[in-house]
Amino acid sequence: MFGLTDEQELIRSSVREFSEAEVAPLAAEIDRDHRPPLETIPKLAELGLLGILIPEQYGGTEMDSVSYCVVIEELSRCCATTGVMVEAHSSLCTWPIVHFGTEEHKQRYLPDLASGVKMGAFGLTEPGAGSDAGALATTARRDGDEFVLNGQKVFITGGGYSEVFIVFARSTEAPGTKGISAFIVDRDTPGFTIGEGERKLGIRGSSTPPLMFSDVRIPATNLLGREGQGFEIAMATLDGGRTGIAAQAVGIAQGAFEAAIDYAQQRVQFGKPLAALQAIQWMIADMATSIDAGRLLVYQAADLEDRGIPHGIAAAQAKLFCGEMASAVAGKAIQIHGGNGYTEAYPVERAYRDAKITEIYEGTSEIQRLVIGRSFLR
Amino acid sequence: MRIVVAYQWACDPQEALVSSDGKIDFSRAKPTISDYDAVAIEMGCHLAEATGAELIGISAGGEAVATAIATKAALARGLHEVFVVSDPGLDSAGTLATAVTLKAAIDNLGDVGLLLTGDSSLDSGSKTLVAVLAGLLGWPCVTDVMKVTMDGDSLTIERTIPEGIQGLHLHGPVLVGVTSDAVKAKVPGMKDVLSAGKKPARVVSLLDLGVRLPGEGEILSVEKMAGPSRQQIRINTEDPAQAAAELVSALRAAGALDA
Ligand SMILES: Cc1cc2nc3c(=O)[nH]c(=O)nc-3n(C[C@H](O)[C@H](O)[C@H](O)COP(=O)(O)OP(=O)(O)OC[C@H]3O[C@@H](n4cnc5c(N)ncnc54)[C@H](O)[C@@H]3O)c2cc1C
Repeated sequence: MFGLTDEQELIRSSVREFSEAEVAPLAAEIDRDHRPPLETIPKLAELGLLGILIPEQYGGTEMDSVSYCVVIEELSRCCATTGVMVEAHSSLCTWPIVHFGTEEHKQRYLPDLASGVKMGAFGLTEPGAGSDAGALATTARRDGDEFVLNGQKVFITGGGYSEVFIVFARSTEAPGTKGISAFIVDRDTPGFTIGEGERKLGIRGSSTPPLMFSDVRIPATNLLGREGQGFEIAMATLDGGRTGIAAQAVGIAQGAFEAAIDYAQQRVQFGKPLAALQAIQWMIADMATSIDAGRLLVYQAADLEDRGIPHGIAAAQAKLFCGEMASAVAGKAIQIHGGNGYTEAYPVERAYRDAKITEIYEGTSEIQRLVIGRSFLR
Repeated sequence: MRIVVAYQWACDPQEALVSSDGKIDFSRAKPTISDYDAVAIEMGCHLAEATGAELIGISAGGEAVATAIATKAALARGLHEVFVVSDPGLDSAGTLATAVTLKAAIDNLGDVGLLLTGDSSLDSGSKTLVAVLAGLLGWPCVTDVMKVTMDGDSLTIERTIPEGIQGLHLHGPVLVGVTSDAVKAKVPGMKDVLSAGKKPARVVSLLDLGVRLPGEGEILSVEKMAGPSRQQIRINTEDPAQAAAELVSALRAAGALDA
């Protein structure tokens, strides 16, 4: 697949125009203050960016996955925090409700999630279960027509402001991943508390708090999918999520690349702009080539998803390549800036810190390698 | 009654690269709806909503203006339909050829009460089109317009003039040139983009409209005028007051400011 459709090109130009006007001006400030850009949420909703994966009948914009990746890429080009805010809400909360929810779940949750009245989050990781998500220990005990949740989640993107949480817990005695079920939990449920957000290296504006469940009673109808289907739901959700994170990585790299080009053309040393030096031109060439390669992997994974073809391996490849690519490109962008690039006065410093997370969340690079490698060696 | 907005589909000069020998390279600049005309379209949307009038976009140009992406980009901004005159002969059309073509388009549409357009051309920065087009149409032409209200064919207009703001009342049809800050052009939302392809886009040629382009002369050569040479003034201080003082004295020394 080599070209975007007219609509996808126009989506790119709309989101770019929006990001440059509304998102970029906040990026440095929210990073410095470690605060989520909550004022952007209604604007994202107005443009139709919070219901991208939600069918029109529930108030969404029902866009294809390639368009979705274009959106995440363009938001992240200006601000990686805003990129992941939309990504986690869309891929990790709205997607599983659309694909595994009952009609009642969809009617109850999707319109508010599409309109930004409520934001959504995804709670899988626990203090003792990260890469080994199947080892999670949160429990959901059946009690009449309720489930009672106990346990703790950590690092939950959007936890600080979200109203709707997809939570994974062990509800049966079945061993390993077979005993895990998925639930929809409302923020205001008694016994459910949300801790302080972590202070992080990058995407500092993104809220990443722990969640605590102490005898949290939810109606049994809040079970998402079947009992015991939770791990399958988590893995299917992450296949789409990984493509989204890969798109975030491409956006971060693109932003750093453009900053490096500007700087190389303006900064004069030895009587000429840095851009006239072959050493700099080679860095620019390598950056441009690896960004394009990453972007094609993202679009390939998204296109497979759009055509209903299994895309888990393509998504893992896109995430693996783009995460490492973004870190390398942002590093080169700092190198081109010299000492200035190492300071907060230039955006490449933030890009470098932001890029690192794309090698870690929604499955580390090692886990992506494991998934890809195994698929060839079965 | 119809409200028509004339818009330009052209490369954004802000995206063009200027090389050290002064050549302008548009190869990486993507074509777009002119920012000036986007404001006119937005004003048209407000007026169409308030009056229930039909809102039609017209544009004249080479092949690019008739591509699906060009018509969808215009429709995504809120136009109800577009009417595009596309002809290889219009590729490098000057003001008169463009005005003659747009007049033919307006005549073809009929029942036009108001023609809006941005007050400047995107690629050439020229402000002449509105006057020439109004002359051909035999309509009043009001430029530098910040605000329009409509009641039937009766229009109340506010425009900026050197003395301040002028209020005008007149009857349509009228050609109105809108200032770039008259209203804020909305970024097309996802639903606007996705529904653009479902709206009508009519593409016609000069032949279809029976238009013969006027001769506009033949360009023989373009010679670059050498600009003033660089003065190599360097100001190297952290103190803003000191920097301002140094700049002023350097400009005085160069004769750019009166002593
Ligand atoms: C900012 C941020 C946001 C997050 N958002 C969310 C969220 O919204 N929801 C959510 O549920 N989680 C979220 N997470 C959690 C994230 O997905 C996990 O941190 C990630 O999956 C890694 O798990 P871990 O931190 O426990 O590392 P560990 O699993 O302890 O891994 C440590 C190291 O060991 C390596 N390793 C582990 N197992 C293997 C193996 N089998 N083979 C080779 N190497 C291995 C890892 O690759 C890594 O390098 C977020 C994390 C962060 C930092």
